[in-house]
Amino acid sequence: MTVDLNLVGAKGAIAEAAEGKWGMTIDQDICTGCQACVAACAMENNVAFVGEEDAGYGRTQHWIRIERFWDGEYPHVKATPFQPMLCQQCGHAPCEPVCPVFATPHSPAEDLNLQVYNRCVGTRYCANNCPFQVRSFNWRDYHIIPELGNMVNGTLVFPLHNQLNPDVTVRRRGVMEKCTFCIQRIHHAQDTAKSEGREVEDGEFTTACAQACPASAITFGRVDHPESLVSQMAHQERGVKHLEELNTLPRVTYLKEG
Amino acid sequence: MSQKISRRNFLKLATAGAATTAVLTGCGPASRYVTREPYTKMPEYTYNGLSTYYATTCRECAAGCGLIVRTMQGRAIKVEGNPANPINLGKTCARGQATLHGLYNPDRVEFPIKQGRSAALGTTAMKWEEAFQIVADAMNNANASEIAFLLGTASDHLFDLITDFTTAIGAPAPVRFGALSMFESRATLSQAAENLLGEAGLPFFDLANSDLVVSFGSNFLETWLSPVAYTRGFAKMRRGNTQKRGYLIQFESQMSQTAAKADEWIPVLPGTEGLIALALGRLVAEAKGGSTPRAFASVNVEEVSAKSGVSLEQLEHIAGLIAQAQAPLAVPGGQALGQSNGLSTAEAVLALNALADNYGKPGGVFISPLSPNEDAYHRPASAKEMADFIATLKNGSVKTLFIHGVNPLFEIPKPLGFAEALASVPTVISFATFPDETALASDYIFPDHQGLEAWGYQRSATGAMHSVLSGAQPVVSPMHDTRSTADVLIEAARLAGGKFAEALPFTDEVAFIRSKIANLIGRADGSFAAPEINTFASYFQQSGGWWSAAGASASSSAASALGKTIVIDEAAFAGDGEFFFIPFISPTLGEAGANKPWLQELPDPMTTVMWNSWVAMNPETAHHLGVENDDVVKIISEAGEVEVAVYEYPAIHPEVVAMPFGQGHTAYGRFATAKLPQDRFLGLVPHGGLIGDAFQRGANPADVLGAHFNKAGDLAFAGMKVKIEKTGRKQYLSRLESRIGVYGEGFPEEK
Repeated sequence: MTVDLNLVGAKGAIAEAAEGKWGMTIDQDICTGCQACVAACAMENNVAFVGEEDAGYGRTQHWIRIERFWDGEYPHVKATPFQPMLCQQCGHAPCEPVCPVFATPHSPAEDLNLQVYNRCVGTRYCANNCPFQVRSFNWRDYHIIPELGNMVNGTLVFPLHNQLNPDVTVRRRGVMEKCTFCIQRIHHAQDTAKSEGREVEDGEFTTACAQACPASAITFGRVDHPESLVSQMAHQERGVKHLEELNTLPRVTYLKEG
Repeated sequence: MSQKISRRNFLKLATAGAATTAVLTGCGPASRYVTREPYTKMPEYTYNGLSTYYATTCRECAAGCGLIVRTMQGRAIKVEGNPANPINLGKTCARGQATLHGLYNPDRVEFPIKQGRSAALGTTAMKWEEAFQIVADAMNNANASEIAFLLGTASDHLFDLITDFTTAIGAPAPVRFGALSMFESRATLSQAAENLLGEAGLPFFDLANSDLVVSFGSNFLETWLSPVAYTRGFAKMRRGNTQKRGYLIQFESQMSQTAAKADEWIPVLPGTEGLIALALGRLVAEAKGGSTPRAFASVNVEEVSAKSGVSLEQLEHIAGLIAQAQAPLAVPGGQALGQSNGLSTAEAVLALNALADNYGKPGGVFISPLSPNEDAYHRPASAKEMADFIATLKNGSVKTLFIHGVNPLFEIPKPLGFAEALASVPTVISFATFPDETALASDYIFPDHQGLEAWGYQRSATGAMHSVLSGAQPVVSPMHDTRSTADVLIEAARLAGGKFAEALPFTDEVAFIRSKIANLIGRADGSFAAPEINTFASYFQQSGGWWSAAGASASSSAASALGKTIVIDEAAFAGDGEFFFIPFISPTLGEAGANKPWLQELPDPMTTVMWNSWVAMNPETAHHLGVENDDVVKIISEAGEVEVAVYEYPAIHPEVVAMPFGQGHTAYGRFATAKLPQDRFLGLVPHGGLIGDAFQRGANPADVLGAHFNKAGDLAFAGMKVKIEKTGRKQYLSRLESRIGVYGEGFPEEK
C-alpha cells in the first residue's frame, strides 16, 4: 500500500499499513526469566560467548537478553516482570539510515532489518542509534581465542566449532550483529513450501527462542495474517509495543502482566 | 537409505510406523554409531544442506526430558525438545540447550588414564584392554562386599545394570547421589507422603489446573524435580484458563526466580514455613466453618505471626484467598524442606492440600506414576544415607570404589568427610566424562561417553501424569576414545569370569537395554505397540522412549491426613553467627553446568551476574556491615569459610544471606575454573588463588555447610547461621544489568 505523505494523518496511515510481515509476541505474564531462549538463540545462531572480563564491560553478544528491574523497597519490593529484549525489527528502524555503508538495510521481501556482515565496517553508529540497545559488536575474534582450543600434533583445534550451525555465518572481529528473527529458518520453511507448491503454514516453523521457551511465552509468525496465532495474541488488550512514542513500529508485541 | 527426513516427517514416521530409514537398529557394536565423517565424504543418508534428526534423552539432570537433536554430517548442531515426550512436550531449559557444549567441550577426558590421584589430569593414554583387566581384577581380588558403586542420578539404565550386577554377586547395592537431589529434598517429600497418605512416592503438583498456588519456598521454576514440566504447568495456571488468571503466592526468605513470578512474595524467617502452613490451615478451616481438623488444632496463629514475621492481616488475607479459590494448591520445596524441621513442614503443607481436598483431582496433588519398567520409586540417597555410605568407606571395608556421574568432592559438604573416605579406599575408579575434582582424585579414569553419544534410558520420576520411560541413543559417534561404562562393566565381568560373567550375560549395552524394555512388548496402552523386540526397539529409538497413552490417575485418599497431629519443632540453626545462610542451586548452572561456557555466560535471572558467585544480602544489611557491591566478604560457619563478593539484593530478609551453588570449582576444565587470562577481570587475580594450573572460579557454598539432617535424612542445608567479616578486597562481578566497573564508573575515588 502506498501512502501520500502530503495528506494529513499520513503518519498514522503508514503505521497502519506497516503492520509488517513477520512478528512476535512475548507474554511477560508467563515468562519465567529462565534463559532457555538465550541459550537456544546462542546455539542456533553461532552467538559467541565473550568470557568474564568482556562480559563485565558489557560486551556480551546476547541477541536476546532478559531484563529485570526492581520496583520499591524491602519488604514491598517487586521484581518487574521479566522482559526478554531482542531486535524489534522496527518498520521505521533508527539503525538503518545512519549506516554509511548500507550494512543494515531493510528487506522489502521479508520486512526485516538485515545485517550484512561483509558490508559492515564497524562504525557502530547503528548500535548508538538503537533505542532498544539490542545490537552487539564483535570486539574480538571470540570464536578463535587461542585459549578455547587444544593443541593437537602442533595444530590448534577448536572442538567447540563442531557445534556451529552451518546455516549461519560466523562473525569475525569488527562487525555488528543482532537478532535476525532466525531468517535461516524462515528461508528454509519458504523453500520447503515452495518445493511442495504451497504457502508456508502458520506454526510450521518458529524461531529458536520460541521453540525452546518452556512456558511457551514467545509466539512467532505472520502478523499480517489476521488468523495467525501471533496476530491474535498481539491484538489482545494486554499487548503493548515498547517505546511506542518513538514511532519506530516495532514488530514485537509484549503482553503485559495481569 | 535416501529418504529425506525433516523433523516433522520424522515424527510422522515414528507414529505411522514406516520405520528405520536413518534409525540405528542396534544390531551390534559395529553398526551402533553414526559415523562422523569429513564434509567431503558424507554418509549416504545425508544430503548437502539437509539435517538428520535423532530422538534421545537429556542427561543434564534426572528429569528425563526428551530431545530431538539436529545433526549434519555427523555433527550435533542444535538441541530441540521432543514434542511427543509428555515430560517436556517439545521444550527445553537452558541446560538442555547447552548440552552441546558438554559434547564438544575442549576439556573432556579423551582416553583411559592412570590418574594416580595427582593434581593435574594425566596425559598418558592407557589401552582399553588394560582398563578392562583392571576392572576385572578389582572384581576378582575383592570379596563382593568390598566393592562399592557410587552413581549420579542419570542415567537409569546404568543404575539398573549395576543393581542387577551387585544383586547377583552379593555386593552392596549402588548408592546414587547428586547435588540437585540434595537440594530437592526428595527423601523428605516421599517420607511426608508416606506419613500422611500411607503411600511412598514423589508427589506431583498439578499447577496447570489450579487457580491459586501457595508455594512454601519451592523453586519449581528453576531446577526443582522437573523444571520444564513445572514451568509449563505454571504458564497454564496463569493463562491457560480463559475465565480466571491463576494466582501465585510464595513464602520465602529471599526472592528467588520463582518468587519473582509470584503475585505476592512474602518474606519469612527461615524455618517458620511449616508454622505458616498450619496457621493458614487453621484460618481456612475456620473461614469455611465447621470444626478445625486435628492437624491444625494445636497451632496458635498470633504466635506464628510473631515468629515468622508475617502479619496477622496478611495471614488472614491469604487464608481468605485459599478459602475462596476453586482449586487451591500448596507446594512445599526448596529451603523450607532444607531445615531441621523440614519433614514436618512438608507434612503441614500436604495437610493443607488435604484440607483443600485436592488429592487425585485436577489442580491438586498426585503421587507420580511409576515408570513403565520400575517396581518401586527408587529415590537417590539422602544426605544421611550418603553419610552412612561414607562411614563404610572410612572404616576400610571397601577395597574398590567405582564412581560414575557424580562429583562428590565438590558437591558434598566437607564435614561429611568424603575426601578422607576417598583416601582410605585402596582403589578408586572413576568413569567421569570430564576431569572434575573427584576424577582427579581417583586412581584410574575410564571415561564414559557424553550423553549425546550414549545409549540408555531415563525414568521420569515426576513431571507428567503419564508413566514415562525416555530412551537415549547416540546422535553422533563418540568424539574421543571413550567407552560406555555399561560396556566396560560387561567386558570386565566377562574377563573376570565365574559369577561375574553370569551376572552380566549380555553381548553389549544395547542388548542389556533391550532386555529391560522387553516387558513393554505387546502392551497396547502405550505410545506405540510392537509384537517383537526388533521392531519395538526401533520404535523406541525413533520416538525417544515409551509412555503410557492414558494419563495414569494415581489418586490417594487423604481423608486420614487431617486427623494426624502435626507438630512443627522449632527449627535448629547450627553455628553462632548472626545471619541465616541459605544456599540454593544456581538456576542457570544447575549442579554440573559450570564447564559449559554458554551456561557461564547466561546471566543469573535475578542478579544478572555471569561467570562468578556472589552472596546476596539486603542493602540495609550491607550498609550495617560497612560493605557494598563487589566487596569480598568472608562467610564463616561452624564448618568452614568461603570468600565471596557481595551483591546488594533488595529482595531478601535483612537477617538472611543467600549464595548460589554451582561455582567454586578447582578442577572441571578451563571454563569452570578461571584459566583464561582474560578472565582476570580488570587485572585482579581471583581471590581463590592458584590451584594447580588453574584459578578457582567463584566460591562453593558446600565449603561452609555442616552435617545436619532433617528427620527424613535430607541435609538441613538452610539450617546454618554464619558470621560475616570484611576482607577489604574487591572482586568486580560481571553483570548484565549495569555498567558499573566499565571505564572506571562506580569505582572508589582515588585517595
